[in-house]
Amino acid sequence: MTNFAVGLFHGPDSALTAAGTLKGAGFATPELMSPVPIEGVEEVLGEKKSVIKHFTFFGGLIGGISGFLLAAVTAVLYLHPTGGRPIITIPPFLIITYEATIFFGILFTVLGFIISARLPAFRDRVYVPESAVDKFVVTVACDDDEHFKRAETILRDAGAEQVRELAEED
Amino acid sequence: MQAETKDPQYADIHRDVVRSIVETGPRYYVALATALGVTLLCFFFPWFYQLYYGIGAAGVNHPQVWGTYLASFIFWIGLSHSGTLLSCVLHLSNSAWRKAMYRSAEAMTLFSLMVAATFVMVHLGRPWFIHWALPYPNQMEMWPNFRSPLLFDVMAIGTYLTGSSIFIYMGSIPDFAAVRDRTTGWRNTMYTLLSLGWRGTDSEWHRLHWAYTFLAVLIIPLAVSVHSIVSWDFALSIVPALHQTIFAPYFVVGAIFSGTAGIVTVMFVLRKYIAGFDQYITRVHFDNLGKLLLVLSLIWTYINAIELFTGWYSGASTEHEALQYKLFGYYAPLYWEMILFFAVAPLLCIFKRFRTSFVPMLILSIAINIGMYTERFLIVGTSLSRQYLPDAWGVYVPSLVELSIILGSFALFTTLFLVFVKIFPSISMYEVKETMDIPKTEPIAPPEGNPA
Repeated sequence: MTNFAVGLFHGPDSALTAAGTLKGAGFATPELMSPVPIEGVEEVLGEKKSVIKHFTFFGGLIGGISGFLLAAVTAVLYLHPTGGRPIITIPPFLIITYEATIFFGILFTVLGFIISARLPAFRDRVYVPESAVDKFVVTVACDDDEHFKRAETILRDAGAEQVRELAEED
Repeated sequence: MQAETKDPQYADIHRDVVRSIVETGPRYYVALATALGVTLLCFFFPWFYQLYYGIGAAGVNHPQVWGTYLASFIFWIGLSHSGTLLSCVLHLSNSAWRKAMYRSAEAMTLFSLMVAATFVMVHLGRPWFIHWALPYPNQMEMWPNFRSPLLFDVMAIGTYLTGSSIFIYMGSIPDFAAVRDRTTGWRNTMYTLLSLGWRGTDSEWHRLHWAYTFLAVLIIPLAVSVHSIVSWDFALSIVPALHQTIFAPYFVVGAIFSGTAGIVTVMFVLRKYIAGFDQYITRVHFDNLGKLLLVLSLIWTYINAIELFTGWYSGASTEHEALQYKLFGYYAPLYWEMILFFAVAPLLCIFKRFRTSFVPMLILSIAINIGMYTERFLIVGTSLSRQYLPDAWGVYVPSLVELSIILGSFALFTTLFLVFVKIFPSISMYEVKETMDIPKTEPIAPPEGNPA
């Protein structure tokens, strides 16, 4: 069981300030939950690396190769008389390649999103329903009561409307 | 209670959208029952009649082998381009006014594609041989011919359908999570599964932003290619009026044009019939859509004029005959009606007063779509009825079965859209919230009870 100090703020700026202060005070990296994406998170909590672009790229590459092979190999294996014209025709097969590139690019992008966002979530995690409506929430893991009190002080000083203690199963 | 003149807040859009899903009045059930009834009566029953008696029931015969089914197919594929334009193109250009509309526009895309796909099934002359088109190893040693534009179609439309479904789903995940918190029972289970456990953390938003952007970047060239490929179903034939290189941009522009008009219609209906949505779909949206319609109409008029000019300038007798038939032949009244609705009527959008009036824009959008359908029909009708040899000339009139199926397809689309409105949040809550001011400090209230 991990305990979390959860602060609810009415605006993103105060929530960001609180998160920055918590990080500076030596707490584990806080998490922000919000109804809309918050600007400026990376400046406060550190840069985020996105691996999704790699998934998209490899998806496109695999798709392109697969699309061309699908068209070309089946044209060779299931031969039709073409009156002397090429069996492997480039312009039509390029269209198939193009579509397959985009198709696999899309599928792999979704895969990349699912993997990097760690969804679907199979265990219950700390969550505050108000964060989906109009509150900006900061959560930070606390080891003990004293830790929690320090976190609570920081959150209230930054302007938290409410501070809750929530637990998460490990 | 908010005063009438106050701008809506985060909690307001939240409440309004959740209410649109969870609360259902009798009007909705009447609309759904009517749409479903018309679909069964006017789409499926005539189709079954046609399956039993043969494709001749559809009025198609030599030389007009395609008729209104293909015209409808292209029309519905065209309508699907609206969502892509609004969602993807305007997302990449950071446009603010798209935010209230794009979810419903994407839904239009998805359902238009589904309706178009049914027309592929309906138009088959020998539907009992459909398995010949399927890719499986067989003793005839046949495999789908990837050199054919019909196969390009399969790849393109299949990819577009998959891509659009994924796109609308991904963009809705945060909204599913928001609705999950406000529902109980089977709805709660459904939204819990659909939202994948989304919490709205900074890392999740960051990943979603990148995934969404990459999807948008991938789907834009896909949309352009889909309608180009559909146009090549025609342009890769040798029939005089069809074998034109202008077809690819012609179709794409026409598609975006009619799709945008379709959005105007849907937005009018949403804001009129769903409580609270008139705060989010405003004159600003209609104004911007009107400007888009004007630009697209001008581009379309230009392309049409170029088609006429190059046909005439070529001096080729077949081209001249095709143009003469199009403008002054049997279908001439339809041609000039198309010009009126497509090239002349949208010029009204020059006037801001017109663009910001709801009912006139609705009437214009319907007129544009009528013009659009006429255009698709003329592409098929005037070309196939005047092929190279005079023995391949013949006038075609749609039969009752076809007219009924056209009507039924609109009902099918409406049915799908009505179901969508009750499952997906039809306005993107989080994106509209981004356009609003930060909520004022208010006491934290517990979540509202579920009226369902």
